[in-house]
Amino acid sequence: MSEKVKEKSGIRSRIVPLILLVMAGVLLVLSVVGFVLQGTQETTQSLGQMQTSAVLHAASEGLINNIAQQARADKLAELRKDKNFRKRGLDEVNSICDAAMEEARAEAEKLYANPVVQDQAALDSAIQTFEKALSESSSLSVTERAAYAEIYVQLVDNISDWKAIAGESVADADVLASLQSTAPDLAKEANAHLGSALVRMARDQAAAQQTAEEAELKNQLINLLASDVPSWTEYIGLEEDALWEKLLQEVPGLEKGEAFRGDLLKKAAEHIAAAEKGETLPPPAEADEGADTVFETQADYSYFTPTAALEKEEAEKNDAYEQLNTQLVAVIPDLGGLSEKLQASLRGNIEKVLWMEDNSFSSRFHTYQQHKAEITSGAWKMNLASLATPLLLAGIAVLLLGLVILFWKPLTGRFGVPRTIIALFFVYLCLLAEFYNISVRMMMGNVLERMTMYGVLVLAMMPGIQCGIGLNMGITIGCISGLLGIVTALQFDLVGFPALACSCVLGALVALPLGWCYAKLLNRMKGNEMTISTYVGFSFVSLMCIGWMMLPFNNPRIIWLLMGKGLRVTHSLLGSFAHLLDNFLAFKIFGIKVPTGGLLFLALCCLLVWLFSRSRLGIAMTAAGSNPRFAEASGINVNRMRTVGTVLSTVIAAVGIVIYSQAFGYAQLYTAPRQLGFIAASAILIGGATVSKAKVSHVIIGVFLFEGVLVFGQQIANSVVAGGGLSEVMRIMISNGIILYALTQSGGGRRA
Amino acid sequence: MANEFILEMNHITKLYGSNAVLKDVSLKIRPGEIHALLGENGAGKSTLMNVLFGMPVIHTTGGFEGEVLFDGEKVEISSPMSAMEKGIGMVHQEFMLIPGFSVTDNIKLNREITRPWLVSKVLGKDLEFLDTKTMARDARKALDDVGMSIEEYTLVSGLPVGHMQFIEIAREIDKSGMKLLVFDEPTAVLTESEAQQLLDVMKSIAAKGIAIIFITHRLDEVMNAADTITILRDGQLVSSFDKSSITPEDIAALMIGRSDEDGMVRVEKRTEPVGDTVAMSISDLWVNMPGEVDKGINLTVREGEILGIGGLAGQGKLGIPNGVMGLYEAAGDVEFYGQKLPLGDAGAVLRSGLAMVSEDRRGVGLLLDQSIENNIAFTAMQVNGDFMKGFLHQKDTGAIRRYAEEMIKELDIRCTSPAQPVGTLSGGNQQKVCVARALAMKPRFLFVSEPTRGIDIGAKQLVLETLVRLNRETGMTIVMVSSELQELRSVCDRIAIVAEGKVVDILKTDASDTAFGLAMSGVKSKEGVGE
Repeated sequence: MSEKVKEKSGIRSRIVPLILLVMAGVLLVLSVVGFVLQGTQETTQSLGQMQTSAVLHAASEGLINNIAQQARADKLAELRKDKNFRKRGLDEVNSICDAAMEEARAEAEKLYANPVVQDQAALDSAIQTFEKALSESSSLSVTERAAYAEIYVQLVDNISDWKAIAGESVADADVLASLQSTAPDLAKEANAHLGSALVRMARDQAAAQQTAEEAELKNQLINLLASDVPSWTEYIGLEEDALWEKLLQEVPGLEKGEAFRGDLLKKAAEHIAAAEKGETLPPPAEADEGADTVFETQADYSYFTPTAALEKEEAEKNDAYEQLNTQLVAVIPDLGGLSEKLQASLRGNIEKVLWMEDNSFSSRFHTYQQHKAEITSGAWKMNLASLATPLLLAGIAVLLLGLVILFWKPLTGRFGVPRTIIALFFVYLCLLAEFYNISVRMMMGNVLERMTMYGVLVLAMMPGIQCGIGLNMGITIGCISGLLGIVTALQFDLVGFPALACSCVLGALVALPLGWCYAKLLNRMKGNEMTISTYVGFSFVSLMCIGWMMLPFNNPRIIWLLMGKGLRVTHSLLGSFAHLLDNFLAFKIFGIKVPTGGLLFLALCCLLVWLFSRSRLGIAMTAAGSNPRFAEASGINVNRMRTVGTVLSTVIAAVGIVIYSQAFGYAQLYTAPRQLGFIAASAILIGGATVSKAKVSHVIIGVFLFEGVLVFGQQIANSVVAGGGLSEVMRIMISNGIILYALTQSGGGRRA
Repeated sequence: MANEFILEMNHITKLYGSNAVLKDVSLKIRPGEIHALLGENGAGKSTLMNVLFGMPVIHTTGGFEGEVLFDGEKVEISSPMSAMEKGIGMVHQEFMLIPGFSVTDNIKLNREITRPWLVSKVLGKDLEFLDTKTMARDARKALDDVGMSIEEYTLVSGLPVGHMQFIEIAREIDKSGMKLLVFDEPTAVLTESEAQQLLDVMKSIAAKGIAIIFITHRLDEVMNAADTITILRDGQLVSSFDKSSITPEDIAALMIGRSDEDGMVRVEKRTEPVGDTVAMSISDLWVNMPGEVDKGINLTVREGEILGIGGLAGQGKLGIPNGVMGLYEAAGDVEFYGQKLPLGDAGAVLRSGLAMVSEDRRGVGLLLDQSIENNIAFTAMQVNGDFMKGFLHQKDTGAIRRYAEEMIKELDIRCTSPAQPVGTLSGGNQQKVCVARALAMKPRFLFVSEPTRGIDIGAKQLVLETLVRLNRETGMTIVMVSSELQELRSVCDRIAIVAEGKVVDILKTDASDTAFGLAMSGVKSKEGVGE
């Protein structure tokens, strides 16, 4: 009896996945049919006919519209010349113009609306020649622009070096040599034509920087004037020269401002005038800090110059259009009689039809359809063929869903519910990205980059979980130690690998005692570690907000310029060690940039932690975390093990933030590290860890899934919802939603 | 009085699942008598009282069979509240007093005497004033009845433990209509003079016609105070009789007595006698283990013997291994082959060649989410540095796997592979893993604490056989702590009985049931073998 019930419910529970699988099968078969249809002669021919029809439509309709608009504009100009123009009302003017436009349109339609093709073959071949020329020159243009953009970005990474050279050198050749030394790609023969453009850009940048520096110096001097002379009354009535002499004696550093003597004296005069009235002027507003540290990595194409090859292609394109034009003249009567402007606009319309970034069947079909091309034969076949790709994606999606539901029990038993759902979600995001024509490869490159960025930080959660303190939200303590290491390296103007090594080592050294104290605190608060670590993390960030202001750093590159003390919020690591690891041995494969150095370093850290977890100390630590009484019975000092784990977690976090900063390109102080604990915690939870058990594999899977979902999710949100504001909201929702989900499901990976 | 018996419980049977904890037990109590209810741990005393009080645990597990007559009428007692209304009271072993309240408040709790006033007449009884004067007078009277001189307005929180017991009693006798009082081991926490005072109070209460059920382990108290005695064993009624017709020795024998075959495990007999070398000598060991406190244990263990430690639950037998192994706070002298053991330092004790199989298998004995092999190797790895290799001190997975497989074969651990998490094993197999873990340390001396608790008969046999074989083959000294006396008698060479935190007696395995029963009640018999 009970077995029968079981059987029935078994069948019922399988109905949903079976329906899904059948649906997936239908979709996939349809998609295969679509792909097959794309290759048949019939559809190819039909598409060709659509193309011709679309071109003619684009030409004639564009022409009619343009003629009508032109007529309206002409009428308006004519009316304006009339003396009584201002006396007429707006409505009257409009109605007169509209009437003229309609009249012109009707006339143009009579002429152009129904083009009759006589020599179909010649027209087709002309269209195809133009299309070919168009695509060739465009592809060349795209590659050249890409090369330009890449070199531009390389140069921006080292901008301080070559800006100095551009500022000092007289000869362009010197500047070019310097640019080539920092951006090796520029030295390639294929990129030679870009040299002069980039030299021009370097000179402009150098000039801009000099202006900015001068403006800043002037601003500082004016501030000095305001602050260093308490009372201006004694200067009242002095001549300019005498006043300048006095001020030079009184205000230290003012001698640098000889160049702005006039401006400074003018400012001084204002102060004197104010003093006469018994007032004091407020110090001028502070300039926006950090504006000069952040550079746009978006390539500036205004400097771009094409190669000879590209120009040749352009010429060929023009020839091809000439041919097409002669054909069009035959079809569209009176074309030759139109103004040049109208002819140019006609060309623009046709180019829009013939050239598209993605040259696939479906996008061609949709473009032609947009231009009102008639489908002459086999409409359903054409539609099906154009839907092949979306059908394939939908088929895969439904198939996956069906499979996951069918194998829900074994899957979740093996991987846990959260990991299964997030992984499925990630695959769906990849499919969606493909659907929205977002480059999955580029996204993957992004994901890899972010993995190197966050990997070590997430790894820092592992010893904490293993030693029994749970999710160590207090890794911010380690992060702040690492940031101290970074600013120390910046303080002494270290560059490259020494800077990176110094940051890591110093950060780790600072993290040791801090982690030890933190561990002692946690040992007194057993059972409440999560809450305590969150609060300690937050309050340490706040404490260091004061600390960053008080610490005796004095390198002008890192302190607030005007105050002369206190560290700035954002420090550009460009020119120090930004992207140092990521670019080490980096290579491109399938268009994905692989940050080899960063990945290697992450692998090394993971290996070390793995080796540690298999050592006697590591095993003891894990046991102390998972069953303290068991560990005690085996003679293990549980508090000591917890201390070891906490210190280790803190030290790894210190190294982690250095790696994070090098990948990010900036080191951010003050409240910036506050959320890092949450990100790391949710990543490792998604990877399959629980609050009491974690492995290296959880770290790697977790950081991949977390960053993958985040990168893809953001990008898709951007394409679905246009406009930056909403996509930013989506970003916050996605990242915090993942955290919330992971925390509520934190027991999900546990064995039954 | 119309009825001869105030309480009759007839043919009570209670099943937990398929396991019968009470089998056809009957109990008859006359008004004004003190009736002692005796039996070992697990004999069914608490279950019988739970039935009497209608505790939820009885109803939620399927109720019971049999009938309860109170004052001659058949009653259905569905909750402790209805028991109280009928005049049945209980003096709890754990004090149910509110520390921040005064003695009067505690005695009158939930039975406050109130007087109405204007507002309460409108808004109901909850707003009436407390009649503190009457309440204090009642409390004074109840306190006088139990012979307490303390002021009724003092706070309970500062009082000594003995006083709390009396306040508890005062509260019960203050209830009007009280006909039957149950005392559940009331003397366990009292000093000798307090205990005597309590017995006097009980007698004076009984003289007023209130019947008393007296649950205790102390036979001298039974002989002193009780009128009639009922003995339970393994959920069955052994017998019921007047005090005058029996001696303490008989009572002890009846509590323990089993047929020889029952619960015995057959093991290889010892061929050579145990030598005289002292392996461990424990003197004046105090252990602060919650529920198992030891107060000055003196014990000598000879090399190569199997020494059993028995006694009732809560008397301190578990404190001995846990104290020596450093799991709980301990004080005293423990010498191991002449070397003083550092108490409280588990690592040092383990390194000197001792090992222990804990009674708390899932809590202390195992890492439940880790594999069998990791569990077996863990302590040996940590303490002795075994199973390690390479300059990075990595664990030697190959060696661990080999050793684990050997152990699985030898102890017949039923598992899919050495990598199976121990949390998924049955209790018996988990116990075998615990034994394997202790053996992996190659100890000279092994404490085994409650090795057969919660495991089936087959596994029980195998575990005990393994212990005996180890002892015979390697000469390993074993101290086995168990609540199952039969088990100790079948395996051990000598058996020490612990009661109230002290070793009462050391007996041979063939000593009489009377001797064991007396020892468990804290009385040393003539049969003891001594040191």
